[in-house]
Amino acid sequence: MHHEFEYIAPRTRTELLSTLKKLGARAKLLAGGTDLLVDIRVGHNVPEAVIDVKYVDEYRKIRWDAKEGLSIGATVTCVELMNDKTVRAKFPLLAEAAGHIGSPQLRNRATIAGNLCTASPCADMGCSLLAYGASIELASEKKTRIIPLEQFFTGVKKTQRQPDEVVQRIIVPAAMAGARGAMEKLKRIKGHDLAVVSVAMVKTAKALRVGVGSCAPTPIALKELPASASVKTVVDEALKTVKPIDDIRASKEYRLAMVQSFVEKLMATLK
Amino acid sequence: MQMHRIKVKINGKLYERDVPGHRSLLHFIRDDIGLTGTKEGCGAGECGACTVLLNGKTVNSCLALAAECDGAEIETVEGEAKNGKLSKLQDAFHRNHAVQCGFCTPGMLMSVKSLLKVHPKPTEEQIKEAIEGNFCRCTGYRQIIEAVQDATGQLKKKEELKRVS
Repeated sequence: MHHEFEYIAPRTRTELLSTLKKLGARAKLLAGGTDLLVDIRVGHNVPEAVIDVKYVDEYRKIRWDAKEGLSIGATVTCVELMNDKTVRAKFPLLAEAAGHIGSPQLRNRATIAGNLCTASPCADMGCSLLAYGASIELASEKKTRIIPLEQFFTGVKKTQRQPDEVVQRIIVPAAMAGARGAMEKLKRIKGHDLAVVSVAMVKTAKALRVGVGSCAPTPIALKELPASASVKTVVDEALKTVKPIDDIRASKEYRLAMVQSFVEKLMATLK
Repeated sequence: MQMHRIKVKINGKLYERDVPGHRSLLHFIRDDIGLTGTKEGCGAGECGACTVLLNGKTVNSCLALAAECDGAEIETVEGEAKNGKLSKLQDAFHRNHAVQCGFCTPGMLMSVKSLLKVHPKPTEEQIKEAIEGNFCRCTGYRQIIEAVQDATGQLKKKEELKRVS
């Protein structure tokens, strides 16, 4: 690293929260490090310290509760999510989405919570978790709060997380377990690349939920539609909701065309 | 700058060192320990030249801090050859001309080593997926894939090249 910083590794949640309170915005939280350490290297981020959250035991777990649903701890990696039996059986789309992130080396380190906290418009976990109607739990010394993921993202690489808060876990509602889901991710190459457009779709007996990536300042969810919605209804809703721009990876027009194409394809898959 | 005392096992040998918090695992391995087989390419987790095994899993060592690795077991390319004899995988890379400039090779070997632990007879697709985070810019992926197939007894015999003059 070209920039110097202190490394702090709290052993417990209490110690972590008091360290965060003390350092606030002067520190950055370190989980997998696959975004943070790149940002520090190129100078986008120059924290005085990084606080490693990986020693907090309760953050390492994936838990299933028939009432609450699936709980993904803050330091669960992409590979851990991909290999988890409950996730594969009840929320297969999440395992698939985690497999779309980066390369094998990155997936061994990168965390699901970190992917959300980086809050890139193309976050692979963003659109799939939005499609599942997930929420996120944040904690500071003062309080713990749970907010819908849709409210968590506030702009390009911006979230609701306050400097004294840590994301503790992600919660996927129990009602979504077993729902059918599918996603499409457009990349420039077959291997390791960021999404040009991504669309994730989840269908329960009653509702159809769609998340879209790389088509707005944040990953976005369409308004929930009835499971019986026609292809045209979903396409219209998608094109009304997304706000893509021209950038280095694709033009606005191409993105709009791909959103439509992916929605049609996913509607056929989940018919 | 506060120093952190870390103990790590690299290729089975125990090292104990003091490192500053910001030292990357890559620079620790190369500069502090002196094992320069692991290379720095992009330094941003894109190219895979710095791939090592951390507790048995491939990681980009440029994107891990040495301080995070206290108590870890690390494997690098230096752990491959024993007593001056290439490992089976290295030998297959050598025989199949899967090494040209050699800069990506240490990382490639680590990714393939990790693959073979899970899939001792990988398909071509599995080989491609395993090395998708390792960029090669001169040898060509064909020879690398063939080397892995050769190391796992799956390479179909190729016609010998004929001398033209």
